[in-house]
Amino acid sequence: MAEAPDGSDTGTGTVEGVAKVVALDDGHAICEPEPTGSCGGCMSAALCGVKSGGTSRRIIARRFSLVNDVGLKVGDRVVVGIAPATLLKASAVAYALPVVLMLVAAIATQHWSGGGDGAGALGGLGGFLVGLVIARWRATRMTSQGELTPNYLRRVRTPPSGTECGLD
Amino acid sequence: MQHLVMLIVAAALVNNVILARFLGLCSFMGVTTKVDTAAGMGMACTFVITVSSIADWALDKFLLMPYQLGYLRTVTFILVIAAAVQFTEMVIRKVSPALFKTLGIYLPLITTNCAVLGVALLLVEEKLDLVESALFAFSSSLGYSLVMIIFAGLRERIALAEVPRLFAGPPIGFITASLLAMAFMGFSGMSAN
Repeated sequence: MAEAPDGSDTGTGTVEGVAKVVALDDGHAICEPEPTGSCGGCMSAALCGVKSGGTSRRIIARRFSLVNDVGLKVGDRVVVGIAPATLLKASAVAYALPVVLMLVAAIATQHWSGGGDGAGALGGLGGFLVGLVIARWRATRMTSQGELTPNYLRRVRTPPSGTECGLD
Repeated sequence: MQHLVMLIVAAALVNNVILARFLGLCSFMGVTTKVDTAAGMGMACTFVITVSSIADWALDKFLLMPYQLGYLRTVTFILVIAAAVQFTEMVIRKVSPALFKTLGIYLPLITTNCAVLGVALLLVEEKLDLVESALFAFSSSLGYSLVMIIFAGLRERIALAEVPRLFAGPPIGFITASLLAMAFMGFSGMSAN
């Protein structure tokens, strides 16, 4: 079941993320995802580099566009969603596939060459590169089928997380 | 081949990174509200832990040990891990910008967590060869992902249950985590056999 950014259950069956509209361009809204930390946050969240997410360059690189048929304005915060299976598939293609192929190739090469770190390293590198090529092919297919396109779900009306002082 | 299987079981289950070594607890509590996100985060961490551990192993074997620079190990490993995180983002962006953007919306940014450094330091202590080191790092991160997914599933169920007000939120999360840790202690019997 889906969970809204404010913690409430939306029941839409999608994985949701929050983005902010930063520009409008020919019927499209250019959105910037709001960075989420990989920790639970604490009272010192405002001072913590983990929670703040990273440099602006990294965030700008993650900008994406949405079809603006709901009259979005610059500064609006929106919730975008994707099917859970698609997120899992995307993670597997990007992260799991190259690493698994690297390990299999390294073990196989070392086994057949009779041991030795050099052969294992070369095999692992080869497997990793093959994994990246397959990942690229799969990602291109997913993109052409529109699987990776985020869907607009609704506007957010709550203030951005991390703006509260946390002293109460 | 049997010792590789033993290595995988020991790293993933018996000496689980989260529940036996208590590393990576920040992401364990922070990213486990949904199973799908936890699984995605687990895969991202698996990539980072495996790649950075191999780089750390090579650096330790060919630079730090021969020149007796072992006292620089922690600092060096932190730098390597930071570089590995950047490398991961760069690779995904080059492989597919659309994939990079999609993962950026729904998964937390990969950041250096103590599990990554912990696994790198542990495998140096174990004195393993390259393939064993890679397998140790991969299995450790597999154990990390497994626990993240199990805990996320439990938290999804707890979210629907009636929890006493004083235990709601992190307290019931910690109680659940401790029960899960006790369950995983059962695997320690496997090493005795």
